[in-house]
Amino acid sequence: MSATRSKRTEPILSARGIVNRFGKQQVHDRVDLDVEAGEVLGIAGGSGSGKSVLLKTLIGLHQPDSGKVLIDGKPIDSIGAQEKAALIGVLFQQGALFSSLSVSQNVMLPMREYTDLPVSEQEQIAAVKIELTGLSADSAVKFPAQLSGGMVKRAALARALALDPRMLFLDEPTSDLDPLTASAIDELILQLNRGLGITVVIVTHDLTTLLTVCDRIAVLVDGKITVGTVEKLARSHDPWIRDFLHGPRAQGAMKARRFNHGIR
Amino acid sequence: MPGAHSQWSSPTLAIEGNDDRLSLDGVLGIRTLDQARQALERWRKQRKSHVLDVSKLSGLDMPGAMFLCELRDKHVELAGVQPEHEALLELIGGLQRKPLTKPPAVPRWRQLVIQLGKGADDFWHDAIDITVFVGRTMSAFGHALRHPSSLRPASISRQIAETGINALPIVGLMAVMISVVIGYQSVAQLRPYGGEEFTISLIAVSVLREMAFTAEIGVMKAREEIDALNSMGLQPFDLLVLPRMIGLIIALPLLTFFADIMGLLGGAMIAQSLLHVSPSQDMERVREAVGVSDLFVGLVKAPVFAFFIATVGCMHGLRVRGSAESVGRETTRAVVKAIFLVIVFDALFSVFFEKVGL
Ligand SMILES: Nc1ncnc2c1ncn2[C@@H]1O[C@H](COP(=O)(O)OP(=O)(O)OP(=O)(O)O)[C@@H](O)[C@H]1O
Ligand SMILES: [Mg+2]
Repeated sequence: MSATRSKRTEPILSARGIVNRFGKQQVHDRVDLDVEAGEVLGIAGGSGSGKSVLLKTLIGLHQPDSGKVLIDGKPIDSIGAQEKAALIGVLFQQGALFSSLSVSQNVMLPMREYTDLPVSEQEQIAAVKIELTGLSADSAVKFPAQLSGGMVKRAALARALALDPRMLFLDEPTSDLDPLTASAIDELILQLNRGLGITVVIVTHDLTTLLTVCDRIAVLVDGKITVGTVEKLARSHDPWIRDFLHGPRAQGAMKARRFNHGIR
Repeated sequence: MPGAHSQWSSPTLAIEGNDDRLSLDGVLGIRTLDQARQALERWRKQRKSHVLDVSKLSGLDMPGAMFLCELRDKHVELAGVQPEHEALLELIGGLQRKPLTKPPAVPRWRQLVIQLGKGADDFWHDAIDITVFVGRTMSAFGHALRHPSSLRPASISRQIAETGINALPIVGLMAVMISVVIGYQSVAQLRPYGGEEFTISLIAVSVLREMAFTAEIGVMKAREEIDALNSMGLQPFDLLVLPRMIGLIIALPLLTFFADIMGLLGGAMIAQSLLHVSPSQDMERVREAVGVSDLFVGLVKAPVFAFFIATVGCMHGLRVRGSAESVGRETTRAVVKAIFLVIVFDALFSVFFEKVGL
């Protein structure tokens, strides 16, 4: 299915000439990136290569040293809070759940702030989103300190989905999960993308996610970015990318990809 | 489909048609849900058979899909569902959609009783915990004294630096200011003063240190650093608690002495400016008025307070569970408890010194 959706559309988000520095360390060196409406874009790269910082730059949480980010052609910092909330949902690497609120309260918080639905309706919506991410109903009343690492991820995903955003940014959504739950999350990301047309940007080390869920992959190496489909990247001459996509771990994921694409 | 949401002015929904067949035109989403629910509920109650035409829907989000699934469950027929909407309806329809479980509500008066009981229980457990902790500290102390090599001079001296040297400016300033205030008052009321009052500034400083202890150890606990120490066979007690405790016990009496000196200096200043008593005359009078015992009392109390403050601080640090929020909670508790303990021990000391006649 992903192969059929290669039509060129207006990018929903475009970043131009992003430079990020921390002291002497240059994390991004004039990075350009377009995210097309309706696609699933994976961002890969070694640990510390600047994926999380790039993600924060894309959603306007980190002010780059130079360069700009446009959403629908508008500079990201000109977008109002309410509009941004309906536009963007974020899953942070550490979950970032509010520790004084229960899981369901966490999910309801954006709805409480930005809609005037009755509380009972908000609760129903929250319950569905919590169920959607695979959390059991009784974990909804738990507080973040009482959750396992994987449950935190899922609760944070439910919160990111609270307002049905047009774009979903996920920082390592499957990194703390067992393989079965990770596959379920992969499947959910695809369903959200196909069913709701949500554009998804995933930062991940998980080769299976990259190869089976993502339409295109952006790889960060030495502050530069290379973007393309898996097929295109597999022919890259960059040693890191080559090792990444042809290493022993990639073989299994490649099989999963062929299998997945076969049945789709 | 993505285009459906693409402009930000609020999305609109038109509900058209009559009788048994209505049609939705526009976006059925979180912002139009209320409107749709009100209109359709009325319609659903009035009519027997229902057909809802959704072929003209340009946008559908999850709350919208939930609503449609709910209608479908209530025997409303959905007509003209677009394929991409069907996928979403299937996704949502496949869920159980159970309502959130809520903890049962407890009446207010029972909450009060429960809280009282919990408070008493906490108090009891705290008393036991402190006793146990003091015992463990004593034993670690004893062990350290018998094996001086296991004392960590580097970390103790760092603690002394942080507690003592870094606190010098603030303690000095507070002592001077307190003695100025007391000076004014004693001039007005002809009240003699001793070193006693400077304890306040020390308690302030030590409570600040205590907050730091709880927070430092608590953050380490929350980030599993304490577990990491344990897994390496290292005792958090020897590594974290003892140096802080010994550091504070050494630093606090020294600070007391420093505060006394600064207080006398402040007193001399006020005597000079208000009473035109020269500093050397002032010194003479101080020697008559203030006995060695005043100094002694302060110096005896300081290490005891230091011990309890450090105990409570470290104990609450180690009690942190899980999240960062718990660090804040334990820090607050530690401060409250330390102030309570300091007041109790201050009272006990007063009684004791009265009896021994100091
Ligand atoms: N606030 C900061 N101050 C200084 N340096 C920072 C800061 N945030 C990130 N860095 C540095 O920027 C680099 C990129 O960090 P980033 O968190 O984006 O890595 P990452 O690619 O997400 O790694 P991982 O896969 O481990 O999450 C790292 O070298 C990090 O040390
Ligand atoms: Mg990261």
